[in-house]
Amino acid sequence: MEKKRVADDHEVEPAVPVRVDRFGFVKQEQNSAEGLCRSRSASEYEREERRIRKWRKMIGVGGSDWKHYIRRKPHVVKRRIRKGIPDCLRGLVWQLISGSRDLLLMNPGVYEQLVIYETSASELDIIRDISRTFPSHVFFRQRHGPGQRSLYNVLKAYSVFDRDVGYVQGMGFIAGLLLLYMSEEDAFWLLVALLKGAVHAPMEGLYLAGLPLVQQYLYQFDHLVKEHLPKLGEHFSQEMINPSMYASQWFITVFSYSFPFHLAIRIWDVFLYEVKLPFEKLIHALRNFPEDALNPDVLLPLAYSTKVSRGLDVLKQEYEKQNGKQAEANRKQG
Amino acid sequence: MASTGLSSSNSSSSSYDLSFKILLIGDSGVGKSSLLVTFISNSVEDLSPTIGVDFKIKLLTVGGKKLKLTIWDTAGQERFRTLTSSYYRGAQGIVLVYDVTRRETFTDLSDIWAKEVELYSTNQDCVKMLVGNKVDKESERVVSKEEGMTLAEELGSLFLECSARTRENVEQCFEELALKIMEVPSLLEEGSAVGKRNILKQKQVHHTSGGGCCS
Repeated sequence: MEKKRVADDHEVEPAVPVRVDRFGFVKQEQNSAEGLCRSRSASEYEREERRIRKWRKMIGVGGSDWKHYIRRKPHVVKRRIRKGIPDCLRGLVWQLISGSRDLLLMNPGVYEQLVIYETSASELDIIRDISRTFPSHVFFRQRHGPGQRSLYNVLKAYSVFDRDVGYVQGMGFIAGLLLLYMSEEDAFWLLVALLKGAVHAPMEGLYLAGLPLVQQYLYQFDHLVKEHLPKLGEHFSQEMINPSMYASQWFITVFSYSFPFHLAIRIWDVFLYEVKLPFEKLIHALRNFPEDALNPDVLLPLAYSTKVSRGLDVLKQEYEKQNGKQAEANRKQG
Repeated sequence: MASTGLSSSNSSSSSYDLSFKILLIGDSGVGKSSLLVTFISNSVEDLSPTIGVDFKIKLLTVGGKKLKLTIWDTAGQERFRTLTSSYYRGAQGIVLVYDVTRRETFTDLSDIWAKEVELYSTNQDCVKMLVGNKVDKESERVVSKEEGMTLAEELGSLFLECSARTRENVEQCFEELALKIMEVPSLLEEGSAVGKRNILKQKQVHHTSGGGCCS
C-alpha cells in the first residue's frame, strides 16, 4: 500500500510544487511550527553570517585546523556547539568530531566494495522500510529516487560491514538524518564511527542483540525521572508506566524518529561532541512543556541548568553491577 | 515525522465500565500499526515502522458496555523482542497479525509468535484473534482464507481477514475480540477490577488527572 502512494506522488509531483520547510520536510498545515518559518530580519541574518565566519575560522579549510583548535580551546568548542552548529557546516563538523573522516581516508574503496559486490541477509528487511523512512521529506519521498537509493546503499553496506548488528529498524532514521547533511560514503563512515568507534563509539551496543545500551539508557532515565521529578515519577509508577513505553524509540533512534527535526539535529550536535545523551533535555521536556520548548534556543540552555552528569555515571555503574551477568547472558544468547 | 510515543486518542473521558489490555503482534510490515490507526482515527495513513512499542487508547461501546481498550502496538523485528516481551503480561486479548501476500509472515505466527505468547502471557484464559491483513491486494494473495481458518483452529483463536487500507473488518476485529473477552468470567473480572481501582485512585488524587495517559 506504501507503493501505491509513492507512485501516485511521483506522477503528480512535477505539476504541483510542494511546500517544504527549511529542512526539506513537506509542510503540513497544522503541524508547522510557525515561529521557525518566519523570514529572518536583517540583523538576524547578519548575526548568522558572523557566526558562520567564526566557525569557518575555527575548522579551517576542509577541517584542517579542527584538531588543533579543539586541543587548544575545548571549552570554546563546547560552548559554540551547544549554541548549534551552522546548518551549512553541520555535515562537515559532525564528520570531524566523530573521526569518521579519518576512517574514510584509511579505508579507500571499502564502501564501494560493500555496496556493489557484497550481499546482505537483511536486504529484504531494509527494502521494506526504505519508503517508510522520512516519507515526508523531499529527498526521500520519491520511489527509487536518489534519496531512497542512497539510504538503501548505506544500510545494506553497514549490515554487511557489521554482521553482529546487521540491520535494525531505527537505523534507517539515523542514516536518513546523516544523508541530509553528507554524501552516501560519508554517511556510511559516520555510522561506523558512531557504532564501532573511531575517536569514541558513542552508540556502541545500541543495536546489538538484547539492546544493551538502550536498556542502560532506560534504567538511567527511569531513576533520573524519579529523582528530579518525584511527583511525575510517582504518578507514572501508580499508572504502571515505565520509560520503555515512551522513551525506547527516543534512544533507539537517538531522537531522529519522533522529535521535531530542528530539535533533533541540535541534540545530535551536542551528542556527537560530548559523547553522552542529553538526559537533561528529556527531564526538562517532561517537567514543563510550554510551546516554546520546541525551540532549541529556549530548551537547551534551560536543560543544561539541570545537572545530571554525575548521577548518570553512578547510575550506569549501578546498572552494570545489577545487570552485568544478565546482559552478558543476553549477548551470548543473541 | 512519526507520532510521539505519548499519543493517545479519545482518552479524555474516564467513564467506562470495563478496561482491557490488548496486544498486537506479528512480523514487521504486516500492518499492525495501520490496523490500529485505522481503528482509532477513521483515517488511512502511511506510517513509519514502529520502533520499540507504542500504544493507543480507544473508548467504545460493545454489547451495551462502555469499554476502554488500551492497545499496545509492538515492533515486529526480532531484535526488539527484548523490549516487547514484557507487554504480554496481563493482556486480556492478543491480536496475531499476518500479511496474506507474504507467506513467511503466516508461518512465523506458528513458528515464533504463538511460542512467544505461550512463554510470556500470564493470562491462561487470554483471548487470541488471528488476523490476515491486506486482503485489498487480492491478486497478490498467497495465503488462502482456509489456511487461516485452520491455523486459527490450531491456536484456539478467533479469525478474521481484513484490510487496514479499505477498513474492511477492522472494527469487527477489535469488537469481536472485546465481546469474546467479556464472555470469559476471569477476564471480565480483571477488566472491571482495573476500572474500579482507577476510579478509586482518581478520587484519592482529587481529580488532578483527567484520566488520560499523558495529562
